[in-house]
Amino acid sequence: MSTFAQHEIFLSTALGELRIRSFCTPDEIRQLSFDRQFGTHAHYRSLYTKRESLERKAEQPDTSVVLAIADSKRIVGFGVLAYPDPEERWAKLEPNLMMEVNAIEVSREWRSKKIARGIVQMLSVHPMIEDKVSYFVGYSWTWDLDGNRMTAQQYRLMMARLFEPFGFEEYQTNEPNICLKSENIFMARIGERISTEAQNRFKWLRFGMTP
Amino acid sequence: MRHPKEIVLKDGTEVLIRPLASADELPLRRFYSGIAEEDRWYMRFDVMDPTVIHGWVEDQKEVFSMLALCAGEIVAHARLHTHHYGCYHHQGRLRIIVDPRYRQKRLGSWMLLDLIHLAMEKGLREVRADFVVGVEQAAIESAYKLDFFKKALLEDFVIDPQGQLHDLLIMTKRLHKDWGDF
Repeated sequence: MSTFAQHEIFLSTALGELRIRSFCTPDEIRQLSFDRQFGTHAHYRSLYTKRESLERKAEQPDTSVVLAIADSKRIVGFGVLAYPDPEERWAKLEPNLMMEVNAIEVSREWRSKKIARGIVQMLSVHPMIEDKVSYFVGYSWTWDLDGNRMTAQQYRLMMARLFEPFGFEEYQTNEPNICLKSENIFMARIGERISTEAQNRFKWLRFGMTP
Repeated sequence: MRHPKEIVLKDGTEVLIRPLASADELPLRRFYSGIAEEDRWYMRFDVMDPTVIHGWVEDQKEVFSMLALCAGEIVAHARLHTHHYGCYHHQGRLRIIVDPRYRQKRLGSWMLLDLIHLAMEKGLREVRADFVVGVEQAAIESAYKLDFFKKALLEDFVIDPQGQLHDLLIMTKRLHKDWGDF
């Protein structure tokens, strides 16, 4: 489990005050309730539908689970920065060089209040961020287009604008799942201490090759 | 969109994709002079006419061009033709020309994807690409992979340099997707 210092920001919204906190521990998460909007909707299913899944994530090494907490007790948004699953292409850039923004979600009721931005900000204060290639994969079929009243293109642009201020850039890749739809997006942030050699390996990995 | 974009082709060749710049006029003319006449024949414009290339370089309000470069040399040119007014203003027309040495390496697909993203950014609802059946089969396959579908087949519509008629396949891709696509 992570032993990194926690950071916190406070956000004032029309629905009330909330705090966004990094490196939430399993114990902390267990004390909180999960907003009911994180579930299954007509055309959309939340990435995490159970609080326990976030608890398990928080137990993994170097992982930061960021929570947006309303009324000091209710999770209304979350983000996870974690190592990719070992079978994924991005785990091949060793040793543990890549970390994935595995999930980012805000409850429907709390959207358009800059909470997602706060979550990405708290994910970005990870002390190892400059030693990692952080990345984010947006699959259009996981997006809540109905809830946001957006087209996939508009949603894609929104995701790009959410991550760009924190140093993420869009990169090309031939990873088959990402290539399935042109609306999908792959963004990465290359840490300042990533060597040129590792950057090169990352480039070749994006196209499924070794230099 | 962020440019230049780094691409590694199927054979490991590294290529950069970036928008056309004013300094590219002469290199682009050189690129087209290396394209065989039988390929140029099927283009809608006479690319050997310097004013055509000059027009694309100078006026990028309706025609948007992307180049692929390898070691500083242009190896592909992709265009998105748009209309500011009228019944076609929702639609963009795509055209991609790849240096024969760089074909069958998915460069055309990468250029196509880049133009689709450009069209999405410009708020177009649909993109269109026309292909000569039996002549541009690889491009047709790439288009199918990127969700283009057959809009119309115009039988015996275009003529080759030997005077033989070929079918023209009009393919389109909708850009304003909704959940009906899944």
